[in-house]
Amino acid sequence: MSFNRRDLIKGAGVAAGAAALGTSAVAQAAPLQVGFIYVGPVGDFGWSTMHDIGRKRLEEVMGAQVKTTPVESVAANDMERVATQLARQGHRLIFTTSFSFFQATMRVAPTLPQTFFESATGTATAPNVSLYNARFYEGRYVQGVIAARKSKSKTIGYIASFPVPEVMHAINTVMRGAWSVDPSMKIRVVWVNAWFNPGREADAARALIDQGCDVICQHTDSPAPLQLANERGVFGFGQASDMTKFAPRAHLTSSVNNWGDYYVERARAVINGTWKPGDVWGGLGSGLFRLAPFTNMTPEEASEAQKIAEALGSGKLNPFDGPIVRADGTEVIGAGGRLTDDQIRSMNYFYRGVDVAVPG
Amino acid sequence: MTLLEAILLTVITASTPLVIAAIGELVVERAGVVNLGVEGMMIMGAACGFAAAIMTGSTFIGVLAGVGAGVAMSLIFALLALGLAANQIASGLALTIFGLGLSGLVGASFIGAKREAMPKLDVPVLTDLPFVGPVVFGQDPFVYISVLLVVSVWWFLTRTRAGLVLRACGENHTSAHALGYRVLRIRLFAVMFGGGCAGLAGAYLSLAYTPFWSPGMTAGRGWIALAIVVFASWLPWRLLMGAYLFGGITILQLHAQGMGVRIPSQLLSALPYLVTIVALVVISRRRSGWNAAPGALGKPFSRDY
Repeated sequence: MSFNRRDLIKGAGVAAGAAALGTSAVAQAAPLQVGFIYVGPVGDFGWSTMHDIGRKRLEEVMGAQVKTTPVESVAANDMERVATQLARQGHRLIFTTSFSFFQATMRVAPTLPQTFFESATGTATAPNVSLYNARFYEGRYVQGVIAARKSKSKTIGYIASFPVPEVMHAINTVMRGAWSVDPSMKIRVVWVNAWFNPGREADAARALIDQGCDVICQHTDSPAPLQLANERGVFGFGQASDMTKFAPRAHLTSSVNNWGDYYVERARAVINGTWKPGDVWGGLGSGLFRLAPFTNMTPEEASEAQKIAEALGSGKLNPFDGPIVRADGTEVIGAGGRLTDDQIRSMNYFYRGVDVAVPG
Repeated sequence: MTLLEAILLTVITASTPLVIAAIGELVVERAGVVNLGVEGMMIMGAACGFAAAIMTGSTFIGVLAGVGAGVAMSLIFALLALGLAANQIASGLALTIFGLGLSGLVGASFIGAKREAMPKLDVPVLTDLPFVGPVVFGQDPFVYISVLLVVSVWWFLTRTRAGLVLRACGENHTSAHALGYRVLRIRLFAVMFGGGCAGLAGAYLSLAYTPFWSPGMTAGRGWIALAIVVFASWLPWRLLMGAYLFGGITILQLHAQGMGVRIPSQLLSALPYLVTIVALVVISRRRSGWNAAPGALGKPFSRDY
């Protein structure tokens, strides 16, 4: 049996047609493909791990209705390529899970109008870009209160990642919480210019502890600072996941992120055709995060912290009530006022009393 | 403990992985081979070292496993770059990418596991001496190993016949071959030594420095070690100085930030790189001119020449 060229071309045409029909027929019942882009490794035991747990929760709840693809350790400048590739592979919903990805998400979204993007933190929405985030600053306020109770040197050490508003308002809020207990509390801040670099995070913790800080707050993702606090006999807070076991003597509480329920809700919206760009920013009352059980605290300290967490969750207490004065002395808002969400999200200054150099 | 003492202690621990990985690569490059896979071998050392330590409960076995993993990785490189005379740059890069991926697989089930950090040396009386005590006699064993390694490598390269032969292979492999030396075998041993050192540096990270496993935890230290070798113009003492300078500035800039020094933190973060490069460039310019690289560095050797 022999084929000539014409037969081959004909055959190829038929096969291609069949393939096209086949895919369109399958597409009707095909599961929704959902992409997840992580800024760190899924094993960072912090931010990216918790997004991945959310992804697994989505698979568990939705079963065969969804098919998820995680892509880990994506650099911000590589995000557009990864997102485009995911979209071309048929992912109709993509979660870009870091503020570092936000600019890239806004650039790539208009070029992929059939794909819905969900950016974990950001400053604006677009027709196919939603924002979602948790009001982690509520957890920071509680940390400040606990730190003020626990610190003997009256100095908090803060390991910061990048000078973005999310980090800056967190530092301000920690001090707001601390000052509510003791107005003489001070803070030292070290920027490590990374979300995840265990060695450098540990070095930063060493430097802060050597300078007399005895409660360490971290805005980076690895358990290294907390583990070091444990070794040096000072206190610390876990980030993103419950880090109690890394520091049985040092751990006070952790903010534990919970994205799964939100992921389920958004995937359902895409399947039902009801997806709309939204802007979700939920606090302790929303279930997007919770505080891990208090450890290494007296019952009085724990119940105080619990009460404050409840007041924050119910909205009775708001860390952004006026008066708020910037480090340079200008008043942002007077007594009786309250910062809007946009003002909080664009905060690029420190409060008076937070004696920290604002990086470049 | 004074602040100065504390800073010195931290500087030494921060510099140690760089010293260990760099001294290994120095020997490799002195033999005429560039292995850019340091990062990959290092992270495999970290993953396997931690995994073995968790499974056996012994830090010592963990360290051995880390070294073993580094050597095993270097053998892959040796197969490609020495056995098949493939391009060394490409083989080394491939090794790094491979190591980063494989280490994630090896370490996957050890994420979230924790161990106590390796105990530090405690010599009665000596460790309690003011100032010198903790700095000189109170470090973890890796620190002493790293200094010992630098001294031994210096002695080996400059004071022994075998060291001379190794350097000959690095300067001109054709001549070394003509003189009857087994160029490939010597290079194989050098590459294995480099792998072992990188693995040891990795094990230090996951067993003593930040005692847990996490993918990507080497965070570019392998590349810094490579750079230090070049800027130290392939001399062991200069390498030790470069690594400590790098570690020192890294720690000092963190302290400067904590003290609220009004310099942009991005600039402070870039300082270790800038200062180390400038210092080592200035030194190598004054002493030995620019052409300090081994003559046959990066050139594949095959017996058919």
